[in-house]
Amino acid sequence: MTKISIPIGPQHPLLKEPLSMKVDISGERVLGGSLRLGYVHRGIERLAQKRNYVQNVHLIERICGICSHIHTTTYCHGVESLLKVEVPMRAYYLRALMCELERIHSHLLWLGILAKHVGLDTIFMHVWHDRELALDIMEEITGGRVLHGANQIGGVRFELDEAQVAMIRAGVEKLHTQVEGVLDVIENEPALIARTRGVAPVSADMIKKYCVVGPIARASGVDVDMRRDNPIPPYDQMEFSVVTLPDGDALARTLVRVYETRESILLCERILRDIPDGPVSTRVPRKVPAGEVIVRSEAPRGELFYYLRSDGTDKPARLKIRTPTLAALCLLPEQMSAIQVADIPVVLAGVDLCVACADR
Amino acid sequence: MDQTNIESLCHKLKSQLDCTFDLYTEIRNDDTFVISPDQLKVVVAMINEHFNGIHLSTITAQQREANAEVIEVMYSFFQGVGFSLMISLPTKAPEVTSIVSIIPGADFYEREVAEMFGVKFTGRRETPPLLLPDDWDQAPPFIRNEVNND
Repeated sequence: MTKISIPIGPQHPLLKEPLSMKVDISGERVLGGSLRLGYVHRGIERLAQKRNYVQNVHLIERICGICSHIHTTTYCHGVESLLKVEVPMRAYYLRALMCELERIHSHLLWLGILAKHVGLDTIFMHVWHDRELALDIMEEITGGRVLHGANQIGGVRFELDEAQVAMIRAGVEKLHTQVEGVLDVIENEPALIARTRGVAPVSADMIKKYCVVGPIARASGVDVDMRRDNPIPPYDQMEFSVVTLPDGDALARTLVRVYETRESILLCERILRDIPDGPVSTRVPRKVPAGEVIVRSEAPRGELFYYLRSDGTDKPARLKIRTPTLAALCLLPEQMSAIQVADIPVVLAGVDLCVACADR
Repeated sequence: MDQTNIESLCHKLKSQLDCTFDLYTEIRNDDTFVISPDQLKVVVAMINEHFNGIHLSTITAQQREANAEVIEVMYSFFQGVGFSLMISLPTKAPEVTSIVSIIPGADFYEREVAEMFGVKFTGRRETPPLLLPDDWDQAPPFIRNEVNND
């Protein structure tokens, strides 16, 4: 049968962000594909060299509209490591609270997109309704739903009063109930299971070869999570489960993310229970001593890597950012081989693309 | 993997390859070893074999202000703890063997370094640009030279 190349993107209803793919098909069979990034490449690493450390907190927050907080958390932790300042433990807990809320909203956003792609609009609408709860909490405590401006070098820029803590507890409790309901539907919905079970399975060996991280790796049985393996405080003091599943197919990638959402809700409850009293920030000098640091953290999509070098001035000499989506995209052409054309949306959704993150 | 394992790996590499394997102590968190570019591929292959598949976090390149004649390329791995390999390439003709045949996940990282720093990775297929426009005709954006030196 004749081989045909179909372009998908950079503007396409299937894609939420610009990305160009060429998919080779023969009949209904996909033979492979290739990728082109760069449509939202803003040169952020280069821009960061022209701004001071404080300005860069706000620049880096704009890398991504979904996981903006984990970017600033990782960056601030790197700068604080070079400064050798002691950040108040309360600030670490507040950062972690935002990180987990971000993970919840990111996973629910993704689940809604998957449901939409497989034609389950009811799940899509329910899940995005539930996601609003997480966004509402973040808006209440930081003032921002997408860009939070929560972090500063030396701590955080917000404090919680008793009324806010009560509001977060009530919101998280409601989220817990809603997510349990969603999980019940997903585990038992025949249409969703039929569209995802056995689709584009990825073995643990392939995950290792392609250096894939995060929920995709965990859905293939690779037990890796930077919150546990290379923790930034307060994760080194917290107990939580790292969810893994053995199958590596689209259903496993779905379930892993929903189980992780539940685990993040439990973590939010633990953070609110254990958060210590004290200041939320400490004063830091504007100039950072010469030195280099590598920081790894767990973003909603997996390992986030920052390398930072200071030459002793108030601007970084080099900032390198590797986002988890870039690692996952490397595997995508392989995943695209030997699937049906109708499964392309499911496979794409399974990657949980964040093109803005990958492009930087 | 813990610190002891890194030390045993270093010992193994030194004894089997007879290569320079100097500790670079400036980077916090990751142990970083400076190696010769021509030994990169064989060292990566041995590390990969040692761990039965190693996780490459990323490849970072930079050109330091103090020594613009050199582009440093750093391969950062994670296997329970983070560690990195660092090589230095001449800015005038930066070229090193690709490790994609050993770690396919290095593909996008190599392409990014190639575009942003002009490093040529040999022994791999030619690919179109990953991030920069197809008609980009200026110097690599991260290279400090008369065009970009601002």
